Amino acid sequence: MTGKYDIRVYDSNISYHLEVKRNITILQGNSASGKSELVRMVSDYNRAGISSGVTIVCDKKCIVVGNSDNWKEILELQHDRIIFIDENNSFIKTKEFAEIVNKADNYFVLIYRDSLSQLSYSVEEIYGLRETRDTQKYHEAQKVYNEMYKIYNLEEYAPIKPELVITEDSNSGDVNISKIAEQLPKLIEV
Amino acid sequence: MLKIIYGDIDSDNYIFDPDTFFNHQYKVEWFKDTRVVEMIKDVDKSHVIKDRLIESPALGMISPERLSGGVKTLILIDKKDSYIFNASACGDNCAKWLLDIGKEKDITVRLGYLMDFGREDFEIEIMNTGRIVHTLKELDDEVIDNNLLV
Repeated sequence: MTGKYDIRVYDSNISYHLEVKRNITILQGNSASGKSELVRMVSDYNRAGISSGVTIVCDKKCIVVGNSDNWKEILELQHDRIIFIDENNSFIKTKEFAEIVNKADNYFVLIYRDSLSQLSYSVEEIYGLRETRDTQKYHEAQKVYNEMYKIYNLEEYAPIKPELVITEDSNSGDVNISKIAEQLPKLIEV
Repeated sequence: MLKIIYGDIDSDNYIFDPDTFFNHQYKVEWFKDTRVVEMIKDVDKSHVIKDRLIESPALGMISPERLSGGVKTLILIDKKDSYIFNASACGDNCAKWLLDIGKEKDITVRLGYLMDFGREDFEIEIMNTGRIVHTLKELDDEVIDNNLLV
């Protein structure tokens, strides 16, 4: 499975919009931002389909896998799916889980704050959830809309204007800072 | 004092999944406690109406089982201090409450990430090394230098 997928999960009160781009997406952030509620809604949809009252719009099937004795077997049977796993599943940190993820053709959305050193994932795919009030995009005033934001945003920068840059000597340090100033004029003005 | 064990932990009184533990262990009288009411208000932006009834801005009237994992863990840390709870279920917005409870009594929690305890001075004992730290930088340096999160 490759590419980018839009996921919309909603009921009459809450709406989520996520975009997953790689095989592992991590959701973290503050408590009460709606992470577990999202998993609950996907799980309800898995169990009862449209009878759950939840709607999921996505090109791939979204499922929740939780703690059970046969989590390995369940995961190994999944193909071409987006799999949500909440933080109360102790198997996330195991070597067996990492092996399954590495071999799988699924995407995984993991709700987890601890470091997962046995998995390879991009720092840019670590997100939080936040409520959005963009009235251009969302029209139902009663509804709570949630969207992803990057926790470690490597694209954003704040321009700085130091009054003075002191380098160690006129050799490498000075050349280095001068080059940075040339290449990133918006970042540093020397 | 707030005492933190970083990384993995193997103890009979360790609760990895405080969310589920709370659902089976909470007591109605806890929701009359001022700190519990304040924690629910601050972290979940929800109001305790009465006993098991809580008003959430996003979910409407809910039972305690639908509180966030973070606030459930805080309540357990406050009310069931004979256990060690997995405070990784708490986000950064729970940090001030951990410090608040720790000012009143000794509590021990487990953490698997670098929680942001803010810029004010505090007193936290890192159980892995026995060191007491007073600032976020001291705490982060101690955890990283000793490789406590691996």
